[in-house]
This record gives sequence, structure tokens and C-alpha cells, in this order.
Amino acid sequence: MGSLGGDRVLSARSPQVFLARVRSAVLFLIPLSLLVVIWSFVVNVFEINPRIFPSVASVWQAGVDSVVDGTLVRHIGASLWRIAVGTTIGLAIGIPLGIAMGVIPAIASFFNPLVRFFSVLAGIAWIPIATLWFGYGFGAITFVIFNAVFFVVAYNALLGVSSIPMQVRHAAASLGAGRVAMIFEVLLPGALPNIVTGVRTGMGFAWRGLIAAEMIATDRGLGYMLFTARDFYKTEVIVLGMVVIGLIWLALDRLLLAPLERVTTERWGMVGS
Amino acid sequence: MAIITEEQASLWNKLQVAWVRLHQHWPNAAATLPFVPLVLAWWLTAMLEVFPRAFFPGPGEVILSLKSLIYKGILPEYLLDSITRLIVGASAGVAIAIPVGVLIGMNRHANRGLWPLLLFFQAVGDIAWLPILLVWFGFGLTTMTFVIVYTVLFPVVLNTVLGIRSINPDLLRAAHSLGASRARIIWEVVLPGALPNIMTGLRNGLGYGWRALIAAEIIVGTSGIGFLMFDARRAGSVVEIMLGMIVLGLLWYVVDAWILAPIERATGERWGMVTR
Amino acid sequence: MKSLTLNHLSKTYFDPYKGTQVTALEDISLSIAPGEFVSVVGPSGCGKTTLLNVIAGFLPETSGSIRVDGKPIFGPGPDRGVVFQSFALFPWKTVLENVGFGPKMRGVGRDDRDAIAMDYLQLAGLAHAADRYPAELSGGMQQRVGVVRALANEPDVLLMDEPFASVDAQTRLTLQEELIRIWLDRRTTVLFITHDVPEAVFLANRVVVLSKGRVMNEITVDLPHPRKWDELVENDAFKLLSAQVLHSVRAA
Repeated sequence: MGSLGGDRVLSARSPQVFLARVRSAVLFLIPLSLLVVIWSFVVNVFEINPRIFPSVASVWQAGVDSVVDGTLVRHIGASLWRIAVGTTIGLAIGIPLGIAMGVIPAIASFFNPLVRFFSVLAGIAWIPIATLWFGYGFGAITFVIFNAVFFVVAYNALLGVSSIPMQVRHAAASLGAGRVAMIFEVLLPGALPNIVTGVRTGMGFAWRGLIAAEMIATDRGLGYMLFTARDFYKTEVIVLGMVVIGLIWLALDRLLLAPLERVTTERWGMVGS
Repeated sequence: MAIITEEQASLWNKLQVAWVRLHQHWPNAAATLPFVPLVLAWWLTAMLEVFPRAFFPGPGEVILSLKSLIYKGILPEYLLDSITRLIVGASAGVAIAIPVGVLIGMNRHANRGLWPLLLFFQAVGDIAWLPILLVWFGFGLTTMTFVIVYTVLFPVVLNTVLGIRSINPDLLRAAHSLGASRARIIWEVVLPGALPNIMTGLRNGLGYGWRALIAAEIIVGTSGIGFLMFDARRAGSVVEIMLGMIVLGLLWYVVDAWILAPIERATGERWGMVTR
Repeated sequence: MKSLTLNHLSKTYFDPYKGTQVTALEDISLSIAPGEFVSVVGPSGCGKTTLLNVIAGFLPETSGSIRVDGKPIFGPGPDRGVVFQSFALFPWKTVLENVGFGPKMRGVGRDDRDAIAMDYLQLAGLAHAADRYPAELSGGMQQRVGVVRALANEPDVLLMDEPFASVDAQTRLTLQEELIRIWLDRRTTVLFITHDVPEAVFLANRVVVLSKGRVMNEITVDLPHPRKWDELVENDAFKLLSAQVLHSVRAA
């Protein structure tokens, strides 16, 4: 009996795959470009008040200006730095904790509702209490990000470990795996698909939480840039900010997180969505 | 090779039996059990004043605040406001999302054209729209409804598309050859076929919508649970913030576990379909 | 190759659903000589899987002793290799990495253990699948990997828990013949759990019939090796032995 699953004829680096990728990227950009064209058309023909909606040109100009004078880079840097720190701490604590809780089935099922409760609450709902505890600024915002990532990742890690069939763990024990080996060779890899899903979801919450928190709790960052532009009816800055936010998350999610999730889920032989 | 004494063993056994019986006869009570140590730990931390009382009040104070706010009518009113907004926004969102999902799922051109837009706007996120919404509509119901509709849209559309893609094409061919018109096929085959996934999308969408509502109320609101927390922050009152968060969490947990999840399971199981 | 000795082995546990103590194994004494292939058959619920789990060390025994080569056991270990009904391969590791897992745990270096793994894969006729992932293989191939993975660790005793139950009937016959071929080559001590009577007789030197946690009967199988299904299916001695075992199981 031959093997199931198709032959992987195309290697990831073959020219056909590359061309296919380029093609899908182009197809992706066409509707967006069309939207920009329509936007430009509507704003010009209907002579829309720039205080209500900016023209494409003004947004572009605002973009160029803010890159030149460094403000855009500063805001993006602040936002990305906060996300990086919060996410790293959230993962560093959440993954081990989730795995630890998941190892013993009785403990896993006991903590499951608890962790799930908090993962639902994660993110923005913590902003008021975070600003009260840490004051305005880096601490509160990073806490909200950490919180968003931590609970979701811990929950998913717990779930992931619980879903490893007991016989696989028994198999490892019978092959001589000690505690450390069990964690790094079995539990962590076994839970990885769930963990990656958790990271993706958690970072989604974290990103939204970041923007929200930056609107009310600090003096720099993309959310701040958006919110303060409102005071001066600088709609071109608002739209610029929205586009930047969309692009950053799109890049992060589509180019990094989604493929990661797909690869781990497929390799593990689980049916991906 | 006995590790424990006979008495300890039989006590442990009795506990196990009690645990099993509890889960069998009162599953809802059993679901609350894990929260007991949490509340106890909270109470202990607060009582020992591990953190200053002003920053970390205990369950007692939160309950007192609960009573007071109910008595003053504030909590019920805010709760009603929040829930109403959510229902209105979610309904509008779903009403838009399902047709869009059907369109994208069934029409390849719509798919090619709209999918990238969908992904981009999902990436922008509801929160980033707040400033421009505030410019257009000010601090009011329209802004908040828009945010909820926006947030609910994406999970429902995406899951609808997923559900439609997972329909066995033979079903569609069968309907076609039995003489069903396009509209009929959508109504009789596509929608029921995608229903389990749509329910999943609905469940997710409501979750996101709830979170978006709270976010909007925190940043923009004039009433509602989110506003309660925002206002309490301004007054420096942690107790009410905690109360707000607990009410939020509990409400969502209850609705999700006792209403949404069973519905989602029921549609999937009744049709004998695997939803995920 | 080492011997496996069970002495008055018992296993009881508390069932919270029934609210009572349940006896899974009762006073089981069994001596398996080095290199012997013993099948354990019995009706559902007779305790054969529990027996394997206790010997493997996944469950503690309640009383009695288990000795490998005269020495007691402490939990799971590489001296008792296990082949599972569900294959239990590590989905995130390639076939080669799966088979090399045991040696890796013993601290064998990458090149050495890859060589060991390749040897065993060749033994099972799976050298070409070395870089595949379990999800890409059929059930039969996965179980071959499972068997070879356990063997690559050179266990003193091989425990097999209904290993071919999840595989289709035709593949099962092939796998059984392969198992015999490998066993004749390595002469590992094997304890093979199954509910399939002909399978039990086909593979073993001795068949133990278990019922309600007790040893009911032991039947020696002295058919010559190598055994092939095509021949044995018509062999009178085989048919007689199978009938004997079957009657024993059904009477239990």
C-alpha cells in the first residue's frame, strides 16, 4: 500500500511557487488599488469637505511629512515596542503556565473554566484598572497587551497539552523520556498548533487593546496619533493612521502568524480550516 | 504497595463519588466550582492587604458596591443600555454579514474582489475607526452602533464563507438538477448547509462585538458598563471598576456557555455535521 | 532477551461512577521465558489491556510483583517497549526521528541514532519513508513504524496492545507475518494482547486466556516456524488449536 497524501513535487523555492505567490499578491492588491481610485474619484467629484474626509493626495502628503519629520516613525516605534514587550512577557509566562496546568488531566479540567473566563475578558476591559494601578503610560499599556496575550495563550496551551493523546505520552515514557525530555520533545511540540492559534488570537486582542489604550492613556503611539488628530479635524492624519494600522496588522497576521498557524496545523496532521 | 491509609483512601473515594455525582446532577453548579478557590484567593489577598486597599479591594466591598448600584438603579440601567446596544448592533451586523458571506462564498468574482478588502478592513479594526466616527457623528449611539456592526461583521462573514465552502458540491448539483432556482438553492441548501459554521461565526462575532462595545463605552460612552468603569476610573474608585469587569465577564460567560454554545452544538449535531 | 515474571499480580481500583472497588486483575501468575512469544486473549473487559498497562508501568499494581530478568520494575521504562493500538507516533517528528527517539533519550548522537533508525526501518521495509511525517502514511505503515520504534530501543520485553486492531483485515495478515519475521530475527520476549483468537494462535508459542481478571487457561502452540497464513489456514493443527482457544474464551 502506498503512502497517503500527495507527493510534494514542488519544493517551496521552485520558480512556479514563487510566481504563484507573486500572482496572488498582485490579485490581492488590485481591489485595494481600485478602492483608492474610487476614493479619489468620489472625494474630487463630490467636492467633499476635507474636514469630513480627506483626499488621497492629502493623506499621501501627510504620510510623507510625518516620515520626513520623524513623527510617524516615532509613533510606530512606540506602538511596536509596546507590543513586543507585552507579547514577549505574555508568552514567556503564559506558555509554561498553560503547559503546567494541562499536564495532569484532572488539573486541566479544573482550571479550564477559570482560564477561559479570563481569556474572554482579556484586553481592553482591563484599561481602566490598568491605568489606575500603573498610571498613564508605558506600564498600563504594556500590561493591557501582556494581559491580552497571556490569558489567551495560557488557555490555548492548556487546551493543547490536554489534547495530546495519553498513549503518545505513554509511548514517550516507555522510550525512556525523562521529565525535561517530555516537556520539550512531547508536550511543547504537541501543544504547538494550539499555542500558535493562541498567539495569533491573543496578538489580535493585544493589537486592538494597544490602539485603544494609546487613545486614552499616553502621549505617543499610533492610537495617540489618531485620537489627537481628531481635535484638529486633521482627517488626513486620521486616515493615514488607519491605513498604517491596517497595513501593520495585515503584514503581521498574514505574513507571519497565519502561515505559522497553517504550517504547524498541517504538519501535525490536523485538519486546518 | 499501599501509599495511603485505608481511612484516607475511603475519604478520597467518597470525594470522588461526590465529585462525579455533582457533575452528573448539577452540571451548572459543578461549572462554578473552579471559581471558588479564585474568590477565596482574592479575598485572602485583599484581607492580607498584599496590595494597598485602595488598589485592591476585596469581594466584600465589591458586593456592597453591587448592592448600592442596584439600589440606585444605575447598574440595571447601564446593563440594559449595554445589552440593547449589543443586540441592535449585532442584529444589524448579522443582517449585513450573512448576505455578504453568501455572495462571497458563491460568486468567484465577488470573492476575488471583496476578499482582500475584507482582510484589510478587518486588519484596521474597529477601534481605529473611533476618531473618524467621532468627527462624523460625535459621542453618541451612532458611533457605538457602527463599531459593533463593524466588529460583528468579520467573524460572521468569514465563517459563513467557510461554511459555504464546506458544503458538499454534490448537494448543490443535486438541487440544481431537481430544478431549484438560484434563490431557492441559497435558501434551501446553502444556508442550512452553512448554518453550523454561521452559528460559530455568530458566537465569535457576539464575543467580539461585546468586547468592542465595552471598548467604545470606555473611550466614548455616556452610559453602559464600559462607561461605568471609565467613570469609576476618573473618580479613582477601583471597586466599581472591578464590579464592572466581573459583571462583564459573568454576563458573557453565562450567555456564551448556556445560550450560544448549546445552540451552536445543537445545529451542528442535529444535522450530523462536523462543524470544525 | 530477558524473562518476564508475574507473581500473584492484582490490580483493583476505585470506580467513582459505581462507587465501589473494581478488581481488574486477580492473582495473576505468569512466567514468560526469554525469547518467548505469549499471546493474551479474552473477552472484552477481561482485563488484558489493564494487564499490559500495569506491566508497562503506566498503572501501579495493587499487590504482587512484576519482574523483568528477576528485577522489579519502577514505572515505564525502555526495558519494556510498548506498541500501541493507536500507533501513538509523534506527529511532529519524521518517521526517522520517531524511530530514533529511544536512542535519543539514551543520549545517542545524531548520526549514530539515524543509522540505527535506518537499520530498523529497513528491517520493516520502510527505508523510503524515513523523511515522511506520520500523517502522510497509511495505518499499516504507521504501525510498522510503531513496532520498529519500540524495537530500536532494544527492549528486554516487547508489550503489544492490540496493535493491529486499527488496521484493515488484509493489512493485518501481512503485518502479522512481518512481525513473526522480525521476531524470528531478533527473538525478543513478547507479550501480545489481542481479542482476535486466530491472530493469537498464529503468532504465539503460548496462548493465555484471561477472563474477569484471572488466568483461565494456557494453551501451548507448537506449530513450526516460519508460519504463513496461506498454509496455516488449511492446517488441521492450527484449526484445532484455534478452536480450543475460542471455546476457552467463550466459556469464560
